[in-house]
Amino acid sequence: MKTKMITLCVNGRNHRLEVPVNRTLLQALRDDLRLTETKYGCGTGECGGCTVLMDGKDSVCSCLTLAVEVEGRHITTVGGMTRDGELHPIQIAFIEEGAIQCGYCTPGMIMKTASILANNPNPTEEEIRKGLDGNICRCTGYAKIVQAVQRASQMLNASQSQKAGGMGS
Amino acid sequence: MSKQNYIGKNVPKLDAREKATGQALFAADINLPGMLYGKIVRCWDHAHAKVLKLDLSEAARVPGVVKVLGPADVTQKHYNTGVLDLMVPEDLGQLLGDIEDQRIFTDYVRHQGDAICGIIAESEEIAEIAAQKVKVLYEPLPVYLSAEESARPDAVQFDKRKPGNLAFQLPEQMFPGNAYGWGDVDAEMAKADLVLEETFTLPKVKQCQMEAHAYVALYDQTGRLNCWTSTQMPKCVQPKLARLFELPISRVNLVSTTIGGGFGVRLGMILEPETCAMALAVPGRPVKVQSSREEDWVASESRHPGKYWIKLGVKKDGTPVAVDAHFTSNAGAYFTHASGTAFTTGSWLTGMYKFGAARYKGDTYYTNQAPSGAFRGYGNPQTNFVLEQIVDRACAQLNIDPVEWRKKWHKGAGDDGWCIGVPYSSCALDECLDRGAEAIGWKEKRARYANQTGTKRRGLGVGVMNHTSGAMPMLLEHTTCTVKMNEDTSVVITLSCSDLGQGAHTVLKQIAADTLGMPMDEIHILVNMDAAGFDIGSHASRTTYVGGGAVIKACEDVKRQLIERASLRLGLPKEELEIIDRRVVCKSDPAKALSVKEICHSGVYNFTNPATGETNGVPGQIQGYASHFPNHNSPPFGACFAEVEVDIETGEVKVLELVIAHDIGRAINPMAVEGQLEGGAHQALGMTLTEDTTYDAAGLCRNNSFTDYKMFGPVDMPKIRTILVEQPDPIAPLGMKSVGEAGPVNPVGATANAISHALGIMFTEAPITPEKILKALKK
Repeated sequence: MKTKMITLCVNGRNHRLEVPVNRTLLQALRDDLRLTETKYGCGTGECGGCTVLMDGKDSVCSCLTLAVEVEGRHITTVGGMTRDGELHPIQIAFIEEGAIQCGYCTPGMIMKTASILANNPNPTEEEIRKGLDGNICRCTGYAKIVQAVQRASQMLNASQSQKAGGMGS
Repeated sequence: MSKQNYIGKNVPKLDAREKATGQALFAADINLPGMLYGKIVRCWDHAHAKVLKLDLSEAARVPGVVKVLGPADVTQKHYNTGVLDLMVPEDLGQLLGDIEDQRIFTDYVRHQGDAICGIIAESEEIAEIAAQKVKVLYEPLPVYLSAEESARPDAVQFDKRKPGNLAFQLPEQMFPGNAYGWGDVDAEMAKADLVLEETFTLPKVKQCQMEAHAYVALYDQTGRLNCWTSTQMPKCVQPKLARLFELPISRVNLVSTTIGGGFGVRLGMILEPETCAMALAVPGRPVKVQSSREEDWVASESRHPGKYWIKLGVKKDGTPVAVDAHFTSNAGAYFTHASGTAFTTGSWLTGMYKFGAARYKGDTYYTNQAPSGAFRGYGNPQTNFVLEQIVDRACAQLNIDPVEWRKKWHKGAGDDGWCIGVPYSSCALDECLDRGAEAIGWKEKRARYANQTGTKRRGLGVGVMNHTSGAMPMLLEHTTCTVKMNEDTSVVITLSCSDLGQGAHTVLKQIAADTLGMPMDEIHILVNMDAAGFDIGSHASRTTYVGGGAVIKACEDVKRQLIERASLRLGLPKEELEIIDRRVVCKSDPAKALSVKEICHSGVYNFTNPATGETNGVPGQIQGYASHFPNHNSPPFGACFAEVEVDIETGEVKVLELVIAHDIGRAINPMAVEGQLEGGAHQALGMTLTEDTTYDAAGLCRNNSFTDYKMFGPVDMPKIRTILVEQPDPIAPLGMKSVGEAGPVNPVGATANAISHALGIMFTEAPITPEKILKALKK
């Protein structure tokens, strides 16, 4: 297989990699960079377990994306959500709302949530459910995941308005 | 040490932070130095065939291939991936006819996906390439996809020990007439004013745990076989692997990884034998096996599908005079759980209502489908689809309210339980029914939806269930637990209970913290198969009930030792002492006290004064221990109410709402209990409306993917309201009962009954798809 040198930007860090041109982003993350937080669930874009965030806004299935395609894009995995050991509000919401059971879908769910809220900070319940469609969870029946997204939206909006208020004073 | 601080609180799961940050290690995440990759080569083109020739030479020549293994290169021993053999006495196992009929690699393909050979290579890609170079010549055999087909006299016999391809039937020696129950069913049935008889068809539902099966194994330089696995039953898999590879248990090191969903699919072994066989072939090098989703689907077990015949006789006033039932299930290609499920499916039936007489027959046939096995509920969802619908049909014909009928006729405390001879210890089903009915607006909506004419018809249904907390007395129930007190009074609890994601470890820690009167963050739960004693595993909704019982006993053992030592030190009788706020205190004179810390510390740092010979306390580090065998199974009950809207033009069913009232006894962690009910409902709705594994005529699976096998998504899921009914069970530790396995049970009956209420048609075939609805409406 033909290979190509690429720079993969993951969680703010650049990685120089030589990858076969058919290598998926999921393989590059898990096998080359050993960032195993992004999960394999089906390999065909059906379960969303491998969801990562691209350029802070779009969610993509890393199993359907080639590593060479995302050169120059900013990829965020769930490992990049935590800053200096501080959990991101989405992570806090998932923990406190009981949205995590086995946890295998969780990294993908959290990245999908990040994408939903980046595009729409105040989603309705229906918009959340539609947004999560494509990410499968077999443990929770989605009830507590939907609650967690709602909670995360409130938390993020509150911290935004706090920041805005802080700037005004 | 007596304040209750954690029980009843929504404590977040212990591992939630690890999981939310992606740090939790699943088996596939493990990378060890020098790791090789194992690929199991499966038969994809046939469901029943003999391997005439296997040529591995070309595969072996692929650069980077370390070893190729055919059937003759691994142990010739047979095994059963299920664990029933460890759960019943040997003579009972023989009576049940449990057999070992699986091999690591086979030359007789019994289902699509059977394992033919293995390849060990330097990378996954190389293993894949080599797999393509394996040449197999097959002789196809006739394919049997149902019990009717494989039971034919001229059918190929799967196993000479099982004539007629009858893997299991209730044994005559134990159950005359191959049936169990009570009373004279034929005589009682004759007294009925209304007799309903129907045969239901049940689907092959897949667990669909999100983590595809992955394992790592290493036969290390000390001669130990290490296996990293997400099994639900590590302490059963450990002896099974020891037996298979002829090693003492102490040389099999099982490392439990984070479990990415179980639901029964990991009940016993899956690909541990293949992975370990590969590791044994390359001593000193770890081997990782990662299955693809498609492979996971055809290689691991599902819920038992089959035909369920039932006959119910009732009097005009609703009295259920007799029930007669026969579940013929489809075992698939191997024995696995053929006896267990066939047996328990009837337990849930006979355990539910006060039938005047009851008779249940259960049998299981081999077919060329993927093996059936354990799935959350273990026969109960099947019975629920059948029993709850036939009861509702009787109610409809007799014009009796289905809620009132259930309140009148369900079994309760003191009645013979699901295991005949073991009476129910408690039952809060009436309260579940009352509160559920109230929450959904039962009376008002049932009346409102009685005569609809539009294209969208609404319906309201109810379904009840009984289940169990652990499998005692039918199966072995045993959990051990060690509670070690450190010198600073912090605690390490060692056990081998699995946490499938349901939160078992969190709940066990809550129980320990309250029993010891300690803060949770000073307690560590160590799950280590070398260090921990036995636990049968996470199944039968047992971990909180039995594991919790063991934790309480071991913590009480610690308290007993603390009091004994304080008694010696203070010179007071033990009866005079109690533990309050981490101090052992004299009841009548609280000034006389000794801190728990002092006792623990001086037990470890124990010095003898050379001059006096006196010590600074009682020597010995305190460790509590319990080897716990529960004396009951405190069964939970539950009532589910479903509201649906059926589009009679498209046949589409929209589930609008579920109300689930569950008899939990006492909720240790209410949020976790809700999570079990909500997630269980998801699985129940799938079984009722969309999920079934299907095969073409050649026995090849048509829908081994999440696109073709339709589960409910977040948009499809209805609003769910859970009601936790807390009437503490008088026998259970802390009054608690189980919830996990109950989850996917009665939303099945409730939803089916809601559709029937909307359309006036009872559907006998699950899943109830739009096609089936349209077909029925046309009639």
